This record gives sequence, C-alpha cells and structure tokens, in this order.
Amino acid sequence: MKTAIQAELPNELIAEARAFVEQGWVGDFDELLAEALRRYLESHSTRLAESFIQADAAWGLRGRE
Amino acid sequence: MAGNEPAPPVIVCDAGPLIHLDEVGCVELLTDFPQVLVPTTVWDEVAKHRPSAFMHGTVRFQKVTPDKALSAELDVMSRLLALHRGEREALQVAQAHPGCLLLTDDTGARLAARNLGLEAHGTIGVLLRAIRRKQRTKDEVVKLLRSLPTASTLHVRTGLLENIIREVEQSR
Repeated sequence: MKTAIQAELPNELIAEARAFVEQGWVGDFDELLAEALRRYLESHSTRLAESFIQADAAWGLRGRE
Repeated sequence: MAGNEPAPPVIVCDAGPLIHLDEVGCVELLTDFPQVLVPTTVWDEVAKHRPSAFMHGTVRFQKVTPDKALSAELDVMSRLLALHRGEREALQVAQAHPGCLLLTDDTGARLAARNLGLEAHGTIGVLLRAIRRKQRTKDEVVKLLRSLPTASTLHVRTGLLENIIREVEQSR
C-alpha cells in the first residue's frame, strides 16, 4: 500500500535529487524519497537518542566540574 | 564555584546547542566556560540562521578553522553516520583540543564522539548544569524545560522531557 504526500523541500535539494534520478542512479523520484526516508529511520535510533539525553541530565545535575 | 571541583573545560560547539540555547534565551550560560570554540562552518550556519546567538559579549566565542587533516577514524565515521560538514568540523576541532567538551544535539555526532573518546553533551545538559553552577534556580530551569517544545526547535519525546523535569524537581 502506498500513500501520496505533499512536502515543501529546498529547491537545491530537489535539483540535486532530480539530477540523480536523471542520471539513472535510481528508478524514479518516489523511489529516491522512500530510500532516503528508510535510511533516515534506520540510522536514527530513538533508544540511542534517549540514552544520550539521559546522560545529559545526569551530567547537568551531578557533573563534577 | 565549589572550590574542589575541576574547572569548566573549553567547549567546542556544533550549531544545534547554540541555536537551541538562543531560542530559549540562555546562550549566556556558556559564559561559564573559559573558551567556546566554534568551527567555521558552524559559525557560518549559526550566523545565517540565528545571528542573535553570537550577540552575547560575555561569552568567549572563538571562530576556529580545523588545522589538521581529518583523521581516518573521523572520516569513516562521518560517512557511516552521514554527519553534516559542521558536525564533522566540530568533531575535528574537538579532537585537536584534548580535555574539551563537545556540545551537540545530534545523535550521530554524539555517537561519533563516544567512539572517538570525546566527551559530548547537549542543550538539556547545559540547561540542567545551570542549577548546579548556580546560574539559574531549579524553578527557572523547570520553566525553561517546559518551554522547549514551543520555544525551541529541539525535539525531545514528551514523556522523556517530563521524566527529566520530574528528576530536576526531585533533585536536591
């Protein structure tokens, strides 16, 4: 199942992505966007982000300097 | 502040904390650090998007250009973690200043810092530290934390932020 979305993106980013598609590095623009989203979600671990913020809180409240 | 505590370290800033601290009117908390090193790319980014962040005469900002080649470790990690140029430069400058503290709110940059043996913290750490360093009262910091979702572009899961606020309220 697929859902159509509407998004406002910087012109330079769109131009670069379109050039990538035109050069044949990816099937089409939708595929590029899906792959970019997938990679973002894979590389942004919420568990890791939360552990860093918890470490911040510990340092902020109980740090040594 | 307390006599037997180590002196605050030199800090190296990524753009996120400078922008987020300015959004909640707290850049002057950085006055407590002896030097605030800002890599050129980060400086330009902040100057473009949030110029008011640099308008605090008491903060010892210093624009720095990395003068050593990118280490092989940092080069690989930057690619693997898809770090932006500013984040990469901040890590590069931090590597050149042993004992410094890197300020970044980016998870990838934090992960890279950990792997490079660099100490790194973010905006929330600086805000909470203000209580310990007697720069702000506990109530003031709780108010600032509550304002983050609307007053800043720092995104933190609501439940996690509430936990941190509770921890602050219960702290001595």
